[in-house]
Amino acid sequence: MSTAGLRAVRWLLRAWLVGLALPALALDHDNLDPNRPIGMEDAYAIPKGEIGLEGGVRFNDRRQGRTNVTFQPQIIYGAFANTQIEIQGDLFTDPHSIVGANKSGDLHLGVLYNFNTETLILPAMAVRVEVDLPTGVNSKGVDTQLTGILTRSFGRLRLHLNGGYTLLGSPQGQERPGTYRAVAAVSYPLGYPSSFRDTLIASLYTRQSDLQGQRNHTGVEIGLRHQLTSRVVLDGGLGTEFLGPSGRAALLGTLGVSVGF
Amino acid sequence: MTRSGTLIRGMAIVATVTVYFALAGCGQFEPRDKRFYYRALWNFSLREDLAELDSEFNGVDFGHSNLYENLLLTGGQDVPAIEDRARKETLAFIATKPRLNPNEEAIAPTYMKLAWRAQNTFDEAHALHRATYDIAVSDEPDKDRAIHNVLAYYKDSAYAITSKPLDHRRLDRFSYSTAFRQRFPLFNATIWSYHYLQVAVYDPLQAAPDLAAKTQAVRPILATYRRYLDQPPVQWTFMPLTAELSPQFAARYPELAHIFDNLHMLHDNISDILTSERLPTWEAKRAEIYRVVNTYYLATADATNPMIITSEQGHHH
Repeated sequence: MSTAGLRAVRWLLRAWLVGLALPALALDHDNLDPNRPIGMEDAYAIPKGEIGLEGGVRFNDRRQGRTNVTFQPQIIYGAFANTQIEIQGDLFTDPHSIVGANKSGDLHLGVLYNFNTETLILPAMAVRVEVDLPTGVNSKGVDTQLTGILTRSFGRLRLHLNGGYTLLGSPQGQERPGTYRAVAAVSYPLGYPSSFRDTLIASLYTRQSDLQGQRNHTGVEIGLRHQLTSRVVLDGGLGTEFLGPSGRAALLGTLGVSVGF
Repeated sequence: MTRSGTLIRGMAIVATVTVYFALAGCGQFEPRDKRFYYRALWNFSLREDLAELDSEFNGVDFGHSNLYENLLLTGGQDVPAIEDRARKETLAFIATKPRLNPNEEAIAPTYMKLAWRAQNTFDEAHALHRATYDIAVSDEPDKDRAIHNVLAYYKDSAYAITSKPLDHRRLDRFSYSTAFRQRFPLFNATIWSYHYLQVAVYDPLQAAPDLAAKTQAVRPILATYRRYLDQPPVQWTFMPLTAELSPQFAARYPELAHIFDNLHMLHDNISDILTSERLPTWEAKRAEIYRVVNTYYLATADATNPMIITSEQGHHH
């Protein structure tokens, strides 16, 4: 891991500890949202009427190139039954080097609709539709994304499949006009039968590279969500990409907090 | 292929998968419909100000779900698995004095898949229970108005249990009724002990003028409850009722008292359904749970519910 990467880890730990000192103001730790802490989600929306404020810091220590740090503020709202809407705007420390759909400062709007709860026969199913408005640095065109999500449990172990396609409104240079992404993940509540505060999550993913002619980014992530209080969930995650272009991630790390009220 | 063509193809795949699963299990296609609790300044007052009582309720949440999961997985036939193992797991969890309520889907993942509609009905009624404790403990100046508002919010849900009095004696005379208490008297008495705690604290909480007095007022009830956990009251022949244990609360808020008594009766019905061999398959148990919930318990069935009684009929242990 590079010196810059170590600096980023230290910075993230400090930020997380500051988060611990926040007043009790979060979401169910077993309801999994993208980037909290890893790039996967389950098929369930937050309850109707709930408001969630989520924030995180993610670093990407690349095999070649500078380490990137991303700040991930997000508001989610259970606007209707089984439906959550999301407003997000990621900010990157090195915004001019970003390629792909998600540019620093883009306004990201999303809707997740859960079709059904899981039963003995059926998995839980959901669809997510997202748009990225070009409000960010070097951003052009409206990008759209469609993701299908399945959640199926086996005892306490839950399996999640996410498959999505992103369409760039105005691809620049060698950017691909569209990219797919596929994630297989599992989550497991730790501590049964004496404690119910922690959920362990692990994923294997592959996504098309942002630039044409490059290999897929393929990697693994692992994360933990911890219910701190009735309203606050903390999360942390690590990952690495073992296949991909030369600028793929050597180490990914995320620390975040979610507050529900 | 054009980009829009790719997007359309992606949407078509998602739609096809959805329709496939829908058709494959259309009888089990049901919405999740989770609803957030009524938002107010008094939320979590019990947890923050009277944690001694709140932690016991967190233990009760574990007890119900752990029982249902174990009844389902053992076919309701294995006495040691329920009376010894599952009951002791529950007592051990209660003894940890949990500061937060447990994740019930982690405790009973199979039961949740079998009967989500019934679970969501429980969840909303339990949230109402919690809200009334929070209001009682809080410094909310107009508690009647707060209770009126939270009750109105509850009754607005499609999963609201009827606030009308139900004939619990008749609801305890189905072909499978009493199967649970006959086969598992210790765990049944433990469940009834939870229900004792849940309703017995209302009058003392409401009568005590301040937090210090409320803390003192619930201690004798907590002591009795803990004695019941050690020595389950197997001599009881019927579940505790709100009007018997908190008569002033029941007189002041009769709709709440009815909802909580009906909730506790529904718990007994489902325990019997999960225990009885008269309903031998999971599908048969699910169908009966949904029939009972939809026909006799949900407020949406009030117009046709034959179990609603027009005059109060007391039950006695």
